[in-house]
Amino acid sequence: MLFFRSEEQVREWCTTHDSPMRPLVNMSQLWKLATTWYSTRLLENSRRPKPDEMKEIFAGLGLEGEFWDPTSDRFG
Amino acid sequence: MEFDVEVKLAVYRHFAETGRRPSLMETAERVGSDVANVLDAYQRLRAQRLLVLEADGSSIRMASPFSGIPTQHVVEADGIQYFANCAWDALGVLAALHKPGTIHSRCAQSGEPLHLQVDLQGPMPSDWLFHCLVPAARWWDDIVFT
Repeated sequence: MLFFRSEEQVREWCTTHDSPMRPLVNMSQLWKLATTWYSTRLLENSRRPKPDEMKEIFAGLGLEGEFWDPTSDRFG
Repeated sequence: MEFDVEVKLAVYRHFAETGRRPSLMETAERVGSDVANVLDAYQRLRAQRLLVLEADGSSIRMASPFSGIPTQHVVEADGIQYFANCAWDALGVLAALHKPGTIHSRCAQSGEPLHLQVDLQGPMPSDWLFHCLVPAARWWDDIVFT
């Protein structure tokens, strides 16, 4: 989970690492993910989103498709 | 409060207050218990994916969004320096702290430095991007790699 200056830099990185290019996330979307995951982390009643909740959170940010589908994760 | 929750909060609050991971003894002191009980709680918190431990079974590698070891993602807030596990967690540190701050990182391909100012509403306008190689369903197969 890395920062990149541009889409072109992501493409070069994926080529260098012989890896597929995944959907890109902008900083506004990333902030939404960060606050959803962590804004209650220092509180007593915090908990991680469950896979079905994660899928809904991702979809709300326009992050859909198989790559963003965590429901095969057996945890939770 | 349940003991495991006390331990979890002790760990996270130590990170928040110092930027560094607590030793087993420091966590035990915070919760007023002994290290054996804390170690047992660490194992249960690991099973809940709230902690990732080093191979020694007692040192905290990750208490997301905080990293127990130095990384390329450095977050500064209120004069304290934090290390984040990844780009997502770099923003997550400030989200967890509810404080403005600055993220210092770099482009993974070019090495160009990133200095991203973040206030309570989010990051300043930026056209930098986030890329995750591992599909969501596989993140916990190897969370350190992810």
